[in-house]
Amino acid sequence: MKLLDRSLPPGFKIPEHITFPTPHKRTLRNGVPLFFIHTPEINAIRLEINADTPAVLGKEEKKLAPYFTLHMLLEGTINRSAAELDDFFDTYASEVEIISTFEHQGLSLLTTKKHFSKVLPVFRELMTEAVFPEKELAKRKSQKSLSLSILHKKSSNRASQLFRKELFGAFHPFGQISEEKDVDAIQRDDLLNFYSNDLWANPEIFLTGNVTEAELDLISEYLGNLPTIKSHVKLSQFTNTKHQRLVEDRQKSVQSSLRIGCHLISKNHPDYFALWIFNVFLGGYFGSRLIKNIREDKGHTYGIYSSIGSLKASDYWIIMADVIKEHTEEVIEEIYKEIHKLQYEKIPLDELETVRNYLVGNLLSNFSSSFELISRFKTIHQAGLDFDFFDNQLAFIKTFTPEKIQEIGIKYLQREQMVEVIVG
Amino acid sequence: MINYQQFVLDNGLQVLVHEDHSSKMAVLNILYKVGSRNEIPGKTGLAHYFEHLMFGSSKNVPVFDSALERVGGSCNAFTNTDITNYYITLPAVNIETAFWLESDRMLQLNLSEKTIETQRKVVIEEFKQRYLNQPYGDVFHHIRNLAFDTHPYQWPTIGREIEDIVNYKREDVEEFYFTHYRPDNAVMVVAGDVTLDQIKQLAEKWFGDIPSGKIPKKPIPQEMPQRAKKILTVEADVPTDALYKVFHMPGKLHEGYLQADLITDILGFGRSSILEQHLVKNGDVFASVGAYIFGTVDPGLMVFSGKMEKGQKTDLAEKALNEVLEEFIHSTISENTLNKVKNQAEAMKTYESIQLLNRAMSLAYYAHLGNADYYQTEYEKKTRIPSDSILDWSKELLKEENASVVYYKSISK
Repeated sequence: MKLLDRSLPPGFKIPEHITFPTPHKRTLRNGVPLFFIHTPEINAIRLEINADTPAVLGKEEKKLAPYFTLHMLLEGTINRSAAELDDFFDTYASEVEIISTFEHQGLSLLTTKKHFSKVLPVFRELMTEAVFPEKELAKRKSQKSLSLSILHKKSSNRASQLFRKELFGAFHPFGQISEEKDVDAIQRDDLLNFYSNDLWANPEIFLTGNVTEAELDLISEYLGNLPTIKSHVKLSQFTNTKHQRLVEDRQKSVQSSLRIGCHLISKNHPDYFALWIFNVFLGGYFGSRLIKNIREDKGHTYGIYSSIGSLKASDYWIIMADVIKEHTEEVIEEIYKEIHKLQYEKIPLDELETVRNYLVGNLLSNFSSSFELISRFKTIHQAGLDFDFFDNQLAFIKTFTPEKIQEIGIKYLQREQMVEVIVG
Repeated sequence: MINYQQFVLDNGLQVLVHEDHSSKMAVLNILYKVGSRNEIPGKTGLAHYFEHLMFGSSKNVPVFDSALERVGGSCNAFTNTDITNYYITLPAVNIETAFWLESDRMLQLNLSEKTIETQRKVVIEEFKQRYLNQPYGDVFHHIRNLAFDTHPYQWPTIGREIEDIVNYKREDVEEFYFTHYRPDNAVMVVAGDVTLDQIKQLAEKWFGDIPSGKIPKKPIPQEMPQRAKKILTVEADVPTDALYKVFHMPGKLHEGYLQADLITDILGFGRSSILEQHLVKNGDVFASVGAYIFGTVDPGLMVFSGKMEKGQKTDLAEKALNEVLEEFIHSTISENTLNKVKNQAEAMKTYESIQLLNRAMSLAYYAHLGNADYYQTEYEKKTRIPSDSILDWSKELLKEENASVVYYKSISK
């Protein structure tokens, strides 16, 4: 058979428009906002309730109170024992998960449409009727101690912990490292306190799936009476400073876990999109400069990425890689070289086109699964922004100039202000 | 149910089309029927390493990823013991680019010296990162090696040891490519905002001229039934002891496979499972416990594993586990329990099918087993199995002489 001429790639189009559907909003009688996107083609329902409660608050030695409170919610309510709750949720194949980020705590429920009405009332019980039995708490504590000591052994995890500590400061809630003594410090009363006084601060509900009026009515009925706390969260402002490199030597480790990064700016800052795109070029996708150099050219690592961590007041930046031990210094130098090159040397046109098109495709892909739209909305909403964020983002992707990206890269990413951590 | 239509090209390439016009995206998924079970001792890990080489250059594509990113797409792949699966997600209007890329690397991969050597280093780092530089990271190397005497399931997909990766020769790589990366050894699924006619035309155009394979696959040595319990003690610098007890079980599509799946569902799936309730919530030896099956095409393993509370020993843990298994074998399974497992199977299917990519992968996987309809029929079969059949199989499988045990002991160095 005659072979096809494959030397010419097929033509392609980059989508002009992407529709970013806006969720519907209702307000429950207790003032709790409910955002939802109806996806009739999927017979599942996902409900998430997020409170404005930080992962660490109050006394430092009680830093694990929020953790244990959330993880104890399934260990018994006034109506059901832990075993009954487990059996109930498993019987209806429903997944209850704990949401815990730096700035938000909450619960999520994934269930099938047909079981939703049975499951919701029991899910609601977890929010105010948990009893925190001592026996289960003791087990949870010993499990947590063990998992902390396993995590401590993982160099990559240890490196991320030390990075947070150095970036946010040892005394800031975001910089806290939990240790076994923090587990020991927790008592049942700490959980009861947090549960009734702190947990449900300014909660919001995010809902998706095959939801009709019937489900919305049920939600209004069951979640409309959740007692909530009004809290005003004071956002921390961070500034970049000089740091000493942090090194934790691990003789037996066969690789070095490397973390480099700094504070950035908030999502509503005029320079944000340019900085975000600078990150993409550098280490934010598989074709990035860091992957090409450190992995595809030198083979010093299985993976190297840079990414932006999301926080309300201002985001932060982190480069992560586990690298061949003997090449650690070389990799660090190459990282700074790549940052410098991207800041000061002309960006080739084909790379520019690749990044632009990749980002449009990526955005389209992120918005193609209806079930996930609500979580895209959540991220933006929690940063105090609206869906026009994505319209603006798309417009920026299509029109940015390389000069702008470089100017912003120079402005915010400076070697002398980077946190550097090596474990291994 | 996942709707699909299918056709086969003259060279043997099997093509399935799943139309979903609610999305503006498309997925092109190619499954090659090759995994680490097609490897030989001394060259273990080759299937996975080869997956890395597929992202190098082919005759008309200097860099696979960039060519795809340029049209707004992204891609990835995975290798396991049985298959190697490549997938591309991109705006549906650009689906032809995916055909161009996949057909060029199926027909004429470059296998340059640079790619071969760099990816060798990358895979060695992957080996270190995932299996050596993690507490308990090497445990499945030990388990597989202990449980299997002849079948290639005795090594993990990453390879038995780094030495093997160091030793691959160019001839190994080329032979592997021409044996396994042929149209008649692949299943292609195209899903999303595409039509059957369009895909027929594109498949014919881009894949029609690729010759079928000429090199026969080597037979895979099969495992003989195990006659006596095997035990291995491993010592490592980990925070606590861990126990892994595995039992041989039938392969996918064979009688007993679904029963084994149900046994581990009932014993180990979810917080309400028997093992979790008996050993973790109401016991002080185990800090965590789990049960699952490998899900392999050839006869595989049922795995029971757990980490001990600090200071608790593995022999005591095994005794406690045995008691629960013994009790289960001689129990009756309640209607409620069966119902629960059925609900879970049904929900799992709903949750899984949310993503277009998952649907494409499931179709490819079951088509590779012989018929994409198995995706549905296996599920229906599973939910109809009566409790005495589950218990009969548990008596058959959960026997000491069918078991291999790894005591993973904590020592501080």
